[in-house]
Amino acid sequence: MQHSQSSTLAERNKKSNKVIFTWTLAWVLSLALLAFGPKFVWDFAVGYSIAVIVVNLFCGYKMIMANKMMLEGLDELQRKLHMNAMAISLGVSMIFGAVYGLLEGIRLIDFHPNPSSILVVMGLSYVISLLIGTRKYQ
Amino acid sequence: MKNKLKVLRAERNWTQADLAQALDVSRQTINAIEKGKFDPSLPLAFKAARLFEMRIEDIFEDES
Repeated sequence: MQHSQSSTLAERNKKSNKVIFTWTLAWVLSLALLAFGPKFVWDFAVGYSIAVIVVNLFCGYKMIMANKMMLEGLDELQRKLHMNAMAISLGVSMIFGAVYGLLEGIRLIDFHPNPSSILVVMGLSYVISLLIGTRKYQ
Repeated sequence: MKNKLKVLRAERNWTQADLAQALDVSRQTINAIEKGKFDPSLPLAFKAARLFEMRIEDIFEDES
């Protein structure tokens, strides 16, 4: 048979993954620069910090757009799996975040809740949901 | 939803990967449709109908 659209989906996925990787890496690096730069590089100079915040927000925006592009390039079943995983991840993160934020106040933990923990929960719930969804449709 | 994709594919000696490439979807999607685990969208059903030169209702059958 003819493969006139040979590897089109694969090519789209490959390109999307490359773009997502690039902008995610840029976002993480700019976040690290923002976290450590003021103390170790530019001695809390406000101008530099604001400049890095702008760069970080721009990289974040490009990362979001790259994710959107990735979703649009997927086929309909893959898109459904990712959308389901996103919905579950959002819900789990919201519920976890609400409870986690109260734990210190009701004296179940004796440290200040770190907001970055929610990112871990979000990532894990997304990956687990995606794996379960993929398995379901195999 | 029942469908005849597996039969039509076998008649043409196509693999799931061949059909997936022709319809620009993943092999997993073809597998899920053939097993009745996933119902394709109308555009994808039309695409399959054009590929096999058949009517949609001759390929896909509503079970309800």
